[in-house]
Amino acid sequence: MNNRTDIQAAVEARLAKRYRAEGRFRMFGILAIMAAISVLILLIGSIASQSIPAFRVNELTLPVTLEAARVDPAGDGSEASLRRGSYNSLLQEALRAEFPEIEDRGQLRELFGLYTPLNSARLQNQVLANPGLVGQTIDFTFPISDDADLYLQGLTTASSEAAPGLVATPSGTSGEVRVFANSNVFSPIVADIRERLATQAEELEDRARRYENRAASAAGEEARISLTREAEQARTQSASLRSLAEPGSLSVDMSPELPSRLIRMNGGIVHIDRISDSGRTAEGRVLVALDNTEAGDDWTIWTLDTPQAERRITDAQIAWAETLRERGRVETGFNTYLFTNADSREPELAGVLGAVIGSALTMLVTMFLAVPIGVATAVYLEEFAPKNRLTGFIEVNINNLAAVPSIVFGLLGLAVFISLFGLPRSAPLVGGMVLALMTLPTVIISSRAALKAVPPSIREAALGVGASRLQTVVHHVLPLAAPGILTGSIIGLAQAMGETAPLLMIGMVAFVADAPSLSVGGLTEPATVMPVQIFLWSDGAERAFEPRTAAAILVLLALMIVFNAVAVFLRRRFERRW
Amino acid sequence: MADSGTRSSTVYHDAAKTLQGKITLDGVNVYYGPKQAIHDVSMVIPDRSVTAFIGPSGCGKSTILRTINRMNETIDIARTEGSIRIDGDEVNSKAVDPVILRARVGMVFQKPNPFPNSIYDNVAYGPRIHGLASGKRDLDAIVETSLKKAGLWDEVADRLDQPGTGLSGGQQQRLVIARAIAVSPEVILMDEPCSALDPIATAKIEELIDELRENYCIVIVTHSMAQAARVSQMTAFFHMGDLVEYGPTEDIFTNPHEPRTQDYITGRFG
Amino acid sequence: MPINALILLMMLVLISAAFYVGRSRALRSSGRGSVSLHSLPNYHGYFVALWTGVPALLLMAAMAVFGPSISESVIEMRLNQAAAPLAADLDAQLAGDSLIQSAQRTLDSSADVNAATQARAAIQSRRTAIADSIADTARESGASGLALAGFEYANLPPERRGLFINDARALAFNGQPSEITPAIEATASAFRPVDRIVRFGGAVLAILLAMAGLAWSRSRVKAGFRARNRVEAAFMGFLMFCSGIAILTTIGIVASLLFESLRFFEAINWRLDQFLFGTQWSPQTAIRAEQVGQTGAFGAVPLFAGTFMITIIAILVAGPIGLFAAIYLSEYAGKRTRKIVKPVMEILAGIPTVVYGFFALLTVGPAIRAAAQFVGFESAVTQSALSAGLVMGVMIIPFVSSLSDDVINAVPQTLRDGAYAMGATKSETVKQVILPAALPGIVGAFLLAVSRAVGETMIVVMAAGQGANLTANPLESVTTITVQIVMLLTGDQEFDSAKTLSAFALGLVLFIFTLALNVIALRVVQRYREKYE
Repeated sequence: MNNRTDIQAAVEARLAKRYRAEGRFRMFGILAIMAAISVLILLIGSIASQSIPAFRVNELTLPVTLEAARVDPAGDGSEASLRRGSYNSLLQEALRAEFPEIEDRGQLRELFGLYTPLNSARLQNQVLANPGLVGQTIDFTFPISDDADLYLQGLTTASSEAAPGLVATPSGTSGEVRVFANSNVFSPIVADIRERLATQAEELEDRARRYENRAASAAGEEARISLTREAEQARTQSASLRSLAEPGSLSVDMSPELPSRLIRMNGGIVHIDRISDSGRTAEGRVLVALDNTEAGDDWTIWTLDTPQAERRITDAQIAWAETLRERGRVETGFNTYLFTNADSREPELAGVLGAVIGSALTMLVTMFLAVPIGVATAVYLEEFAPKNRLTGFIEVNINNLAAVPSIVFGLLGLAVFISLFGLPRSAPLVGGMVLALMTLPTVIISSRAALKAVPPSIREAALGVGASRLQTVVHHVLPLAAPGILTGSIIGLAQAMGETAPLLMIGMVAFVADAPSLSVGGLTEPATVMPVQIFLWSDGAERAFEPRTAAAILVLLALMIVFNAVAVFLRRRFERRW
Repeated sequence: MADSGTRSSTVYHDAAKTLQGKITLDGVNVYYGPKQAIHDVSMVIPDRSVTAFIGPSGCGKSTILRTINRMNETIDIARTEGSIRIDGDEVNSKAVDPVILRARVGMVFQKPNPFPNSIYDNVAYGPRIHGLASGKRDLDAIVETSLKKAGLWDEVADRLDQPGTGLSGGQQQRLVIARAIAVSPEVILMDEPCSALDPIATAKIEELIDELRENYCIVIVTHSMAQAARVSQMTAFFHMGDLVEYGPTEDIFTNPHEPRTQDYITGRFG
Repeated sequence: MPINALILLMMLVLISAAFYVGRSRALRSSGRGSVSLHSLPNYHGYFVALWTGVPALLLMAAMAVFGPSISESVIEMRLNQAAAPLAADLDAQLAGDSLIQSAQRTLDSSADVNAATQARAAIQSRRTAIADSIADTARESGASGLALAGFEYANLPPERRGLFINDARALAFNGQPSEITPAIEATASAFRPVDRIVRFGGAVLAILLAMAGLAWSRSRVKAGFRARNRVEAAFMGFLMFCSGIAILTTIGIVASLLFESLRFFEAINWRLDQFLFGTQWSPQTAIRAEQVGQTGAFGAVPLFAGTFMITIIAILVAGPIGLFAAIYLSEYAGKRTRKIVKPVMEILAGIPTVVYGFFALLTVGPAIRAAAQFVGFESAVTQSALSAGLVMGVMIIPFVSSLSDDVINAVPQTLRDGAYAMGATKSETVKQVILPAALPGIVGAFLLAVSRAVGETMIVVMAAGQGANLTANPLESVTTITVQIVMLLTGDQEFDSAKTLSAFALGLVLFIFTLALNVIALRVVQRYREKYE
């Protein structure tokens, strides 16, 4: 193929195909980048959206009478006496005063489930701080329980209210009551329940049939008998469900596995337990007392879609929380507890302050160890070390340490610092030491790069006027390399701040309810740090810990962004090029 | 063709007219960002001969060479204006595909740059991507002819499957030349092809260039005036982005018209 | 703490005083001006300050570390001393007790296992009874609390003595003891004065040492004294010591892992083959000797398999994405795109791994489970190898991309030019010239990424589950080496059990594996760099 026009033709013939391949290849590159960036956006976005409920909190404000006899049992106003006061009973009474109609002990326990008794410690602290309050009535504000909070934020169940617009009459204002309507307004509920019952019955029949089939083909006598028995049981159950579902029985029971229905009328709330088959009468328990027993058409049926068995808050608690909100006793506000409290078993009181202080203490230890040692090592290796086997070995060592998994540093800390040296577990001191060892290679490597960037002419100039080598380094080279060293150190520390695994090894996973003191003494107190707090919360059983975990992540990310922004600023501000 | 537009720094020479013109540069300006590297160069480069570009470092001789196959485009900030035609086909236009252009114009670089593949794959690279061989046998033939033309066949015939990077510098450069001629280009651009080689290897390459002249239009950038004198028929002297003087090599070296050329050739600067 | 703070303050005062002493003496000894001094007066000051401060501060540091154990051994001595008469009494009574003698005879003569066990129990209970009666008598006769405490301490089984001392220490210094008994209270009150003496002694010693250093070094300061060289030598010594810390760290890692691993291997009777090739992992060992069944199985293959699977998934995600991103950024993207996209991708590397773990647990895991169930895998779980692997892959994208970017950029421009000049398109240049040339470097980058993935902990702890399943199904939960290390070492643990020690053996495997990968990767990359330098 030597003819030039032939070649031209051949090249052109393939060109379109080649450019298609080119386009595909380019597209893969773009897709790869888009994939990486969209995962990043998804990650940040999902965490940010999960965190939203954590920043809001529903707080109860109740008038609490600080009776002297109960707050100050010794009557001398001393701290010891005030500490022995029974504050929780005061809170219980304050809440009970809102719902005087509740008599039943079980119901009272349910009512007191609307807040955690840990709040009494907060009330106590308030009194201790201001003993003059004894004997007065104060408005005490405290967070409602996490489950109620989630409900009030609309995250537990969908709920709807429908007004039938027909006249109905309650039989009483409290206790067990009946509500008579003059037409079959409750029939849709009955139909709905029947439908569900029928479905359940069908499922049971299906199961019975499966058992029968298996029994027919079963090998052993014993197996066949037991399978047959199972089948019979399922059939019996199904039959009883069917009889319940059958129209004609006198009434239909509500069960916790079904959506809950409540009636709001005459300023009160009734929980429906049973509905007559006619659909005219509903029986149930009064949760919030009715004002009177007058007949009227101004009432509603309130449906909570998620069955009570599938949520952690009961129908009664929902009714009370809703009533407290209607009475203005519950208000939604910014969740300051998240930032002013340390960890707590109760999500509504849990905060990140303890972990932030723990992180600060740990980082201080890390900084005071890793930065001087790292810079000294870098200076020695870069400026003074003879090029021999030993320094070569140190260099290889540092490079390899940089790639050792962080958890191995944790094992080192556990075996050496805790077991061998006997330093305290869970302490920021040990955490800081472990993280310092982990951060050291980063600091050394970046410091060496910064020192390398200082041109040799500077050193020659200093040596030329008679400075010693140490003077040259301290007076001239280090100041010029400082911005680079600082930037590298900050980035290393930011990495250490996000590290979790090695700290688990040295016991910083302990539950720490008090923030450690921000002092030298705090270094040996048990503490936790932000990433470990996130790990602990992500494991929390209560659903309300989920948004709080996300919120803690945002706090951690914000801290890291600040760190990195400082590094970027320093680099921009002091960057020097030769 | 040659008489189209005679501009200020244009230096046509009659010799170029006697030989058949192959490449015509017309009012070429090249910019690197805001900086202008080439000022208004116009010239006609003859076919089947060697044209040498000489001049001090940074005079733009490599830049002008790289406009011919539009290699400047690989540098983000470079921009070329003016008309460059090969056999009358405009090259410097968006409508022209550089891929097709570069199949017509081969290039050899300062440092030998064989691909990290075998010798065979290096030579076969161009025919393969452009689809010039209809089969394995065809490709074998192309590789063999190209290596023979580059004078390398005898040295590597028994080790075609070994990496091209294992050859000596001079062999590598000849391998690269073989790679370039494997697609039967019309023009071969050489950017200081011998600057990284020892004198013996240089002599071999120069010999090769002289042989290749029979069939190709060769443009060579060189630092060495001796080399320009040895291998080229036409010589162009560049200074500070200007084409100072262009003419038959003999004239430039024996009887330069411009004082700057004279100074350079006699070694007063550069 | 206040004592320490006070001492520290005094030290600071002494050190600054030493500086001025050295400086002014140097100035005086030079007579007029500082002309005849070898070193600047300040260096003489530094010299004296160093001699004052460094030995004393080192002593203080040593006291801070070893002080508690010194006071503990003193306390132990005093406990034994105080309890000596009671202990002697006990020994005498034990020796003369007929019940014990007869039980001992049975124990010596009987070959029957049951009889021996019974005899041993009899001796034990008799011994306890005698010890109790001695303690009661002593208490009635008004023996000191310390003597009783010492007696109780001496009769404790060895493994509980440490706890006893810890409780006493905690009680004495505002800590939280696990229990408070009269004996612990008595020990605690003995603790305080001993500790005070140790502390004060240490402080006084430190101050004396500082003063001695000051006096001696001051006497050395003369006009011709080469103070600067001494100070610089000291400084150089400090620099060298700091460089040594990197080595010390490595030695510490290797030594602690090896030492604890050896103890583990001893505990499993050196059945290394069972550890490395056994397929059953259930490290729960019996808590009491007579418990049956739970003997613990330490076959680490399920862990290796889980680690392997998650790493493979992660590399399958990060490899192509990272590599293509690197290619696009270095060969296609304009300057501005690069300037924006690169830092954005680096953010992925800066996000703490615990955040990835949360993301995997709450977003990716449920999504994968839902998708799998939709397709028909009813048994899919939230904590699966797939979700952990995918998220870990995202985490290591920046490693792959920035390392690949480096090696791609190290491919010389002349190679690109060569290809373009042949009329190759960009993708042809990349595929046929740049990638083959950069291959060793890219392999190195992948190896580093693998090492990173193998050692990653939090994502797998949170998202991969804990069951030691040996499975090839990525939708099931698996466990990894790192997960098991965390599981074994968090929560309740007794430090010497095989279960706890096995964590160190796993750590050793992890360390060796990642180290090997890293050494190979660095070497490959280095070779590659040298080729194009």
